[in-house]
Amino acid sequence: MICAWCAIPFIVLFTIGIWPLAGFMPPPSAGFGAAEIASIYQENNLSIRSGALLMMASAGLMCPFLAAIAMQMRAIEGRHGVLTITQISAGTVSVVAFVFATVAWTAAAFRPERSGDLTQLLNDIGWIYFLMTFTTFVVQDFAVGFAILGDKNEHPVFPRWLGYFNLWVGVTFMPAALLTYFKTGPFAWNGLFVWWIPLVVFFSWYATMFVYIRGNILRQSAASQAT
Amino acid sequence: MSASLKPSSLEEPHLPGETGVWVFILGDMLMFALLFSVFVYYRSEDVPLFSHSQTTLNQTLGAFNTLLMLSSSWFVALAIHSARKNLGNISARFFSLAFLCGLGFVVVKFFEYREKIIAGFTITTNDFYMYYFMLTGIHLVHVVIGMGVLAFLIMTSRNPNLEDSHVNVLESGASFWHMVDILWIVLFALFYLLR
Repeated sequence: MICAWCAIPFIVLFTIGIWPLAGFMPPPSAGFGAAEIASIYQENNLSIRSGALLMMASAGLMCPFLAAIAMQMRAIEGRHGVLTITQISAGTVSVVAFVFATVAWTAAAFRPERSGDLTQLLNDIGWIYFLMTFTTFVVQDFAVGFAILGDKNEHPVFPRWLGYFNLWVGVTFMPAALLTYFKTGPFAWNGLFVWWIPLVVFFSWYATMFVYIRGNILRQSAASQAT
Repeated sequence: MSASLKPSSLEEPHLPGETGVWVFILGDMLMFALLFSVFVYYRSEDVPLFSHSQTTLNQTLGAFNTLLMLSSSWFVALAIHSARKNLGNISARFFSLAFLCGLGFVVVKFFEYREKIIAGFTITTNDFYMYYFMLTGIHLVHVVIGMGVLAFLIMTSRNPNLEDSHVNVLESGASFWHMVDILWIVLFALFYLLR
């Protein structure tokens, strides 16, 4: 249960870190030149560092939540579930990418006096780590989705629509890969299909999974106390 | 299993497939609706450029692909029809035909992309070609996923004794394929025909 509740401090720390502190809501445009990026990191230096620190702190809290998802998947698949392990490993790689993104932003803000080109490079690396690493997240969602849809228990662990919801979440993240081609427009990293939609979908996924996992754990512990 | 799997008269109006699959289908169509809106918005910003670029598209290949998509949907509908009559083998054959149409679509698209790239049209050419490659590319990913779904349906329908629960699975997958078809129809109209 504590693992599942880690979802809440993750969202709170992450939101405070990225929004009011780092001011990455929306992200600095992929079309900005080196001088513009450098001045963003110079003017908001302390807040970007603190925001990245909070986001770094939040990253670890994703792991217990992954474990909570995995425990529910194990109830579906049994002890040696392939999808359970896929979910854990893919989710873990997403956490690594998230951590690396905050490292890159921190490094960019660490020496604001250095050449603007270098700040821009680090800023690029940070955003590409953060948003282009869609594949592990897609695989994670598909693993959860297929596990739910393949549930053969008499009383399924999750409702079946949640399985389809997970598949849909995975599909909505795929266009994020396109950021590699664009500096402006809806497919740039600050655009509709790479930033806004994945952001909203990610949070609704987190919230939905949290609600159902919490409900399941409550029911399971009530059942185990009854016996 | 859900209540929708109970035997029901086919004359009654009913939602094809299981309810949950419509979460995915409607969600995905929402996503495409946004993609279409973005295209139409940027087109309205520069109509001459979009109209002129449109004339460089190969309408024949586009129309041929539309024909393939429509035929595949027809085959899928026939397959469902056969499955409801418990004719699993015939159903599997129709699903295979639909799969072949999907494969044909991918092959045609490959040659269409190739022709465009050789002629010097890429995503960096202009906004029209950027959206052309992005939207048809995202749709192509759906076609490939849909072919995976169809392959699964072929295996499921090859059952001498199809029950309602099997038909329900087939309907769910078929609904997804129809969505892939209808999205292409809209894409075809937007990119190849819209004046």
